[in-house]
Amino acid sequence: MTVHDSALDLPQGGPIKWRRHAVTAGRVALAVALVLAWKIGADVAGPLYIADPLKVLQRIVDDTLSGSLVRHTYVTLRLATIGFALGCLFGIALPFLLRRLPRLTNAVEPYIMASVGIPKYALVPLFILWFGIDDAPKLWLVGLLVFYPVFIAVFAGIRNVDRALINMARVVGASEATIAREVIWNSLLPFFFAALKIALPRAVSAAIIGEFLVGNEGLGYLIEHSRQNFDTTGVFEGIVVATALVLVINAVLVAVDRRYSAWRPTDRQMEL
Amino acid sequence: MPGQPLLEVRDLSKRFAMRGGREPSPWIIQDLSFSVADGEFLTIIGPSGAGKTTLLNVIAQIDTASGGEVRYQSEVAPLGDAKALNPGLSCRIGYVTQEDNLLPWRTTIENVLFPLNVQRRLNPETRARAEMLIRTVGLAGFEHHYPHELSGGMRKRASLIRTLAYDPPIILMDEPFGALDAQTRLHLQEDLLRLWNLGRKTIVFVTHDIAEAIALGDRTLVLSRTPSRIAGEHVITIPRPRDIRGLMSHPEFGATYERIRAQVQ
Repeated sequence: MTVHDSALDLPQGGPIKWRRHAVTAGRVALAVALVLAWKIGADVAGPLYIADPLKVLQRIVDDTLSGSLVRHTYVTLRLATIGFALGCLFGIALPFLLRRLPRLTNAVEPYIMASVGIPKYALVPLFILWFGIDDAPKLWLVGLLVFYPVFIAVFAGIRNVDRALINMARVVGASEATIAREVIWNSLLPFFFAALKIALPRAVSAAIIGEFLVGNEGLGYLIEHSRQNFDTTGVFEGIVVATALVLVINAVLVAVDRRYSAWRPTDRQMEL
Repeated sequence: MPGQPLLEVRDLSKRFAMRGGREPSPWIIQDLSFSVADGEFLTIIGPSGAGKTTLLNVIAQIDTASGGEVRYQSEVAPLGDAKALNPGLSCRIGYVTQEDNLLPWRTTIENVLFPLNVQRRLNPETRARAEMLIRTVGLAGFEHHYPHELSGGMRKRASLIRTLAYDPPIILMDEPFGALDAQTRLHLQEDLLRLWNLGRKTIVFVTHDIAEAIALGDRTLVLSRTPSRIAGEHVITIPRPRDIRGLMSHPEFGATYERIRAQVQ
């Protein structure tokens, strides 16, 4: 079930601490190798196609000090955050609402499931047509891309709640609001976190793609604008910062997930 | 000892809804009547599949009845319409189910205090009572463990005292010790009798174990196979406090056991 980690195949009985160091060392070596491959690729392909990693680093430092990179990152992060919040809001609220209306659920479920198949990026021209060229079309794009995984997970999570727990809560006098918050919400949290692992990187990607198309700020704008000016270093700068952004968000998510899943035995048992 | 009936079941019938134009499903319970006196420990015994859980679900109002009524004191509960049900009858009927149904994301103490919490009755007095119950059943030291970190017997104890902690006048118990090994079961039966002696709650305890029904109850009802009705009634006169371990050798035990066994099909 777990991915086989070669570092764990060391002879049994070896000190666990040493094994853990071996894993860390392996990871560092892999990172160094990747950067080295990037550097060699840049030297072979030339600066127009692959930017030199040192120059990209230099550019990131310069633009951070001048403030322009901070501004681009802030704009993208803000867009992704607001779009994510809206997508989550509707993705969570709608299943809870539908739970109370089983007949409406049966009527609309096939339509909602069919609309999953619509390629959301294909709708961007329509969003621009309808909502102009400010933040609105980009927010729609980010919001929709977050909404679907969250909605599907929460919807499935609600269906999966143990009826016996709900009955127990009713018998001891819990209100419907308490049941929704305590029993249903906690039961579906694992589903919700699984959805967030998809939705959060998507929110950043969607914000960047939105910025390719509309506006004059943000990491997406930085990447596309640099490309138009044959500034490959600028393109790489944007990609590196966007990647770092997603990694940081994922790390935060993993930490939050771990905190809220402390009661579940699974994670820790999977480790060794 | 029996006083006024606290709970009365009259001509109760239950069958589950038809599905898609097929034949109506058979009756699970038909014209079942009995009453429980205030402070009585009633045990109900029946073969598996006799609708015992269904009966308790109807009394606890988490399931509808197809006919008949359940009276609490003189109050008639509406049982026909799923939307009109009042599960737990406004916290006056507690229900210890077969499964422990502990909230897996809550610790032992949080689970035990959950009913008091949602009823907004958590105060120093009720909390002290809950903590006393935790000590009485030997869960001290495990207050901050999650259910998956407890043994089956400990989870049962937690589930039992969760209901005792908010002190409903009637407690329904559905084979609560069914899945446990003999030794743990004996301990829990003793715990239950000790707790019952403290408060003398009205208890309706369903089991398929004849010895358990005799050991715990003031009175035992025998259910027939489905559609279930009352096939027999036995008053257990073995004096309390009872020593469950020595019960087998009590002169009354053997005769009562044989009489009940003859009725349990």
